[in-house]
Amino acid sequence: MTGQRVLISGMGGELGSRVAALLEAEPWVGAIEGIDLDPPRRRLRRAHFHRIEPHDRRRMVDVVTRFDPHLVLHLGVYEPNARANPAKARERSRDASLGVLGAAAECPSLEGIVVRSGIEVYGRHRNAPTRPDEEVAPHPTTTFGHLMLQAEELAHEAAATVGCPVTAVRLASVVGPHVPSPLGRYLRLPVVPMSVLADPAFSLVHVEDAARALVAACSTRWNGPVNVVAPGAVTTYQAVRLGGRVPLPLFGPEWMLARAITAAAGAPVPDHVLELVHRGRTADGSLAHHALGLSPVSTTPDVVKALYKWATVTHLTPVKAVA
Amino acid sequence: MELPAVRLPNVNAPEPVAGAWSAVQRRLHGTYVVDEWGCDTEVLDAVSHLAKLRWQVSIGGAEHVPPFGPAVLVCNTRPFTAMPLLMALALHLRTGRAVRVAGVPDIAPFGPALRRIGGVLSRPDEVAGLLRAGHVVALACSGSLRRSERVGTVRNQLMTPALDTGAPVLPVAVIASPLARTARVEVGAPVHRRGVRGPLAEAELADAAREGVQRLLDEATPPRWLLGG
Repeated sequence: MTGQRVLISGMGGELGSRVAALLEAEPWVGAIEGIDLDPPRRRLRRAHFHRIEPHDRRRMVDVVTRFDPHLVLHLGVYEPNARANPAKARERSRDASLGVLGAAAECPSLEGIVVRSGIEVYGRHRNAPTRPDEEVAPHPTTTFGHLMLQAEELAHEAAATVGCPVTAVRLASVVGPHVPSPLGRYLRLPVVPMSVLADPAFSLVHVEDAARALVAACSTRWNGPVNVVAPGAVTTYQAVRLGGRVPLPLFGPEWMLARAITAAAGAPVPDHVLELVHRGRTADGSLAHHALGLSPVSTTPDVVKALYKWATVTHLTPVKAVA
Repeated sequence: MELPAVRLPNVNAPEPVAGAWSAVQRRLHGTYVVDEWGCDTEVLDAVSHLAKLRWQVSIGGAEHVPPFGPAVLVCNTRPFTAMPLLMALALHLRTGRAVRVAGVPDIAPFGPALRRIGGVLSRPDEVAGLLRAGHVVALACSGSLRRSERVGTVRNQLMTPALDTGAPVLPVAVIASPLARTARVEVGAPVHRRGVRGPLAEAELADAAREGVQRLLDEATPPRWLLGG
């Protein structure tokens, strides 16, 4: 397997840029083309980027079909309140998934689809399994969960027309100091609202582990879903204290006010983050080792600690005035 | 997770004081460990020791509980009693293993509070996940208020994970009443199973576990006429 053409949708995000950089170093990868609304967040040497609005389906289809990829890596599922508000995230995700995966189904060289999904697809309805594995049927209870399940379903439809495998990489919440994530922003507030009646455990995944898992999924071509979850778990109180923040215990109705205040403070809390805080969210990630040949290196407490690590700004004094 | 070193107020402090101080430090700094199901072993330890103040539990057959790896404990219960929880706390103190009692309500604040001391949902996929992760899971047979000496049934579907993972199934009899201070927990040897799977194997394993609990209960509490009472 050499000289494979890889198309990455959602290349402009932190995860997409990191995945593109890792794929550039893979010996089996020939050409890489990327599509996104925003340009990549790091310097890429081989990848070719197309800045396309998700609603510009004609251009998107034209780019995809002209490139005729062997592999489509679809990361174009927009998390509500990460880079766009929930309504825009919904619209962009649907447009991007339909445009990219629909066009991929018309590419004669297509050999595989890898789609970025999340453990939000399992949902956290009452009596839902606490730590679902891949055999548990998806039952999303949030907007983000529904968007990712739609992307998975579209990928399966596209793959069925060509007859190629689909790997749905179901990631735990990806947070990090440079990852635009509503959960990350919420946990970094100086005073963090938390539910005093239920402080459930949740798991995360480091952006580096998530990127490595997606690259491994591209090379192994595993057919089916696979959870990628960092080992261990933390509660909201634990995460808040690990970051040296002040927890603000709330009982219930005052959450409406708290959400309004956090939104005004620049950290809106979408429904999937609210659900995580109240019901927890984790999954069984043991299949990843078998399916992808790797397991996340960073534990969930490590991911939380990394979230609070900010490089300090060092002000340099110029040696001589140049202007 | 490796815990960071904590500075103690007095290096010559007695061990329980030093331990309590470091536990408080871990609470303040968030460096304690909670597993994916919400169990906090430090809270479990504390509650187990508190339970010792209220109940004096004698345990027989604790050597049947494997020191590591998955296992399923099937025990008797009665409505409005916490017999499975009492058994789990007592076995935790004796064996050091966190026994995960299936059947907590999935509603705050009871569910999250019980999860801290090892409670989990009573679902086959929940039990399967715990056994795959090498935990000890306790399943309670349905109980009756009127005929407390008769052990009820255990859901056949909850036995599927035990068959799939090959985890040993141990019957456990709990002899306790809400008002008494003393209680007895008797753990039996693993029940025999056929090397097959399927609905019949599940039903047979559930029946064998229930009969094992009944046998232990009958041995521990013989009928009064037999004792001449």
